[in-house]
Amino acid sequence: MNKWFKSGAPWIWMTAGAVSMSLVAVIGLLLLIASRGLVYFWPSPVYELTVEQFGERGTIIGERYDRELVPTERLTAQGIDIPEEQGDFVERFLFKTGNREFVPLDFRWILETDIVESVQPKNIVVVERLTNGNFYGYVEALVRDGETIPLAADPEHDKLYELLARSRGLYDQSERLLKRDIGGVNYQLERLRLRERKWEMNDNLTDVRVAELEERREQLHADYLVLEEELFDLRRQAGRDQLIIRDMRGESVTIGFDKVVDVFFPNEMHLGQKIAHWFHQLSKFIVDDPREANTEGGVFPAIFGTVFMVMLMAVIVTPLGVVAAIYLHEYAGNNAATRMIRIAVINLAGVPSIVYGVFGLGFFVYMLGGSIDALFYPESLPSPTFGSPGVLWSALTLAILTLPVVIVSTEEGLSRIPSAVRQGSLALGATKFETLWRIVIPMASPAIMTGLILAVARAAGEVAPLMLVGVVKLAPTLPLDGNFPYFHLERKFMHLGFHIYDVGFQSPNVEAARPLVYATAFLLVTVIIGLNLAAISIRNRLREKFKTLDQ
Amino acid sequence: MITLNTDNNRETVLDLANLSAEQTALEVKNLDLYYGSKQALFDVSMKVPKGQVTAFIGPSGCGKSTLLRCINRMNDLVDICRIDGEIQLHGQNIYDKSVDVAALRRNVGMVFQRPNPFPKSIYENVVYGLRLQGIKDRRVLDEAVERSLRGAALWDEVKDRLHENAFGLSGGQQQRLVIARAIAIEPEVLLLDEPTSALDPISTLTIEELINDLKSRYTVVIVTHNMQQAARVSDQTAFMYMGNLIEYADTNTLFTTPSEKQTEDYITGRYG
Repeated sequence: MNKWFKSGAPWIWMTAGAVSMSLVAVIGLLLLIASRGLVYFWPSPVYELTVEQFGERGTIIGERYDRELVPTERLTAQGIDIPEEQGDFVERFLFKTGNREFVPLDFRWILETDIVESVQPKNIVVVERLTNGNFYGYVEALVRDGETIPLAADPEHDKLYELLARSRGLYDQSERLLKRDIGGVNYQLERLRLRERKWEMNDNLTDVRVAELEERREQLHADYLVLEEELFDLRRQAGRDQLIIRDMRGESVTIGFDKVVDVFFPNEMHLGQKIAHWFHQLSKFIVDDPREANTEGGVFPAIFGTVFMVMLMAVIVTPLGVVAAIYLHEYAGNNAATRMIRIAVINLAGVPSIVYGVFGLGFFVYMLGGSIDALFYPESLPSPTFGSPGVLWSALTLAILTLPVVIVSTEEGLSRIPSAVRQGSLALGATKFETLWRIVIPMASPAIMTGLILAVARAAGEVAPLMLVGVVKLAPTLPLDGNFPYFHLERKFMHLGFHIYDVGFQSPNVEAARPLVYATAFLLVTVIIGLNLAAISIRNRLREKFKTLDQ
Repeated sequence: MITLNTDNNRETVLDLANLSAEQTALEVKNLDLYYGSKQALFDVSMKVPKGQVTAFIGPSGCGKSTLLRCINRMNDLVDICRIDGEIQLHGQNIYDKSVDVAALRRNVGMVFQRPNPFPKSIYENVVYGLRLQGIKDRRVLDEAVERSLRGAALWDEVKDRLHENAFGLSGGQQQRLVIARAIAIEPEVLLLDEPTSALDPISTLTIEELINDLKSRYTVVIVTHNMQQAARVSDQTAFMYMGNLIEYADTNTLFTTPSEKQTEDYITGRYG
């Protein structure tokens, strides 16, 4: 036994155990959020239940969402009759019944003992709508331009899908028109207003200029009217056809195709169709805008905001951190002051991130942004331009947060460059600056990339400070669009991390939001891993390029 | 005992103490050097003749590398290093405040103990010094690369892979590349700090032959702890011990009839 201890075997077992525990934790986490999140896009079967509750019979159509075991005792205490033979526990199911505007609750718990009959009829339809969530029922008929097509005339649903594709196409057109063209006109009008205000403030608003502005404004207004007409026309066309559906109350409901995002028959699908549907839903989740207070639709603005902000942060933090590290390592004297600064920099990494948020709000947003507004955008005051939280301030705040990481790893990289190479350069008549610029920094670039990778990983996952300096629940516009100057760094943005918080905890419909929380979390992890992999591949290429003999 | 190559086609022996100004490449005058409070060189004075190979020999830690590094002011990189005395190049003290160190180093090139190519292509390594001087003309650079690589006896081996990474070369080739890099900027003086100590015998031989060729165009100062090498390649030899210049004479004299007891002890292998 003593020999066994001396051999070091227990030590090896302990270290290996620590590694496997970390692995299990990481893989378990990923598996959990992946499975919970990705199942959401799978077309689950829809049941039609005949339920008898409190002596009343009713029909419920919906997806089974969740199940749990409830102690019989608790149910009897609530005054619910449970047959003797049930035993200690009764199973209870959560059904998502949709049809939010017609029933009081779109999620309902149903006891196993209340279910009289459960079937999965082939022809149940799920209609994904722009508002009010899903609708479940049976298609009764289609209405094409006022002409009713009974279900019998469309057994393969070809006509239904055709009408859906048409209305979706028109919807996309109208959205594009609204966002790009009409948004552009509004943007121009706002700029005209600001220009006028500026001239007015500077007292050089001449009659000529007024006339010019007026002319331009009329021009834009005329453009707007044309676009508006076009938009209304598109919307009218999209609303031409309707879908008549019988719901679980047995009533016929007419849904305009312009309100429909998707129609599918989950009970009819075979595996291939289900997989195709899964990918389709997943891609919609990635590229669509959110709807219904973020509980439905996609998360594209949040993905875009996260990536955009992180990249902006990287662009800010890299030069700053590298330059600071070069000064500390190459120029600053090796004395107590330098050591103090170095310790301070390292400790900066330990400051809680919300503190950076408070600092960012106070310094960047109010002081810096306020001053910028007073100096450069007085015409739009009192409404702030840079003086309110925005993507630039978020990126700057996170840049400060991640600065220590970049400085430390750059310094480490610089100290690893062999002095022989530096001396070789100096001996050829290079100055210290030339040596740094041409030899040392390129050779240290893999270490700089390592710092950047760590910085990106940290910044992309950071939410708390962002809530103070720029993230919002719903941003109407992206920080990048087709209006000059294209980058709008003063705008607020959406972020996947905040989206998780918002959907999970601020949502009016908790049950509907839960799978979205997992899906968004999985997406956030994917985005961060993606950003990191990109940075790592760049670093490996640099390493290959600058590898020296002894490595 | 050391065998010397006696087939000496060397010119008449120079009178090292009384070299004329034209014959002198550089002159060290009463040089004292301190690392912090520790003195590393004691009152060294010598004249290095032009167009010849001068070797510094001596046991480890005797200050021969330190003296060599004074000549292109590489010791400036050591924070605690302090220097008294003068080194004159063209009659000007290189430790004068008005001297541009970068310009001095362009004039006095240096090759180090271990090959230290930059992590760039062979071509870019050679033209590094020229690029620093702002030369961008492709033709000038191409010519300089060929001339320098031929000068360093490396051209034939690398002419087909000029744009490959210099780390693909062998140690001996890398050392010749570093020499090519140094002579690409046409220095007057070339300092070699134990250039073959990290190389195999074949590569050493190539470098030694190269040194012989180089002296027609450059003044070469070489530090070596290999006495045979000093005897083979140098015209003058300086023996240093404990920071003092003990003896400085033409190589033949120093190795055959040393005037100092310490020199004799060293070359006969009694210490070092």
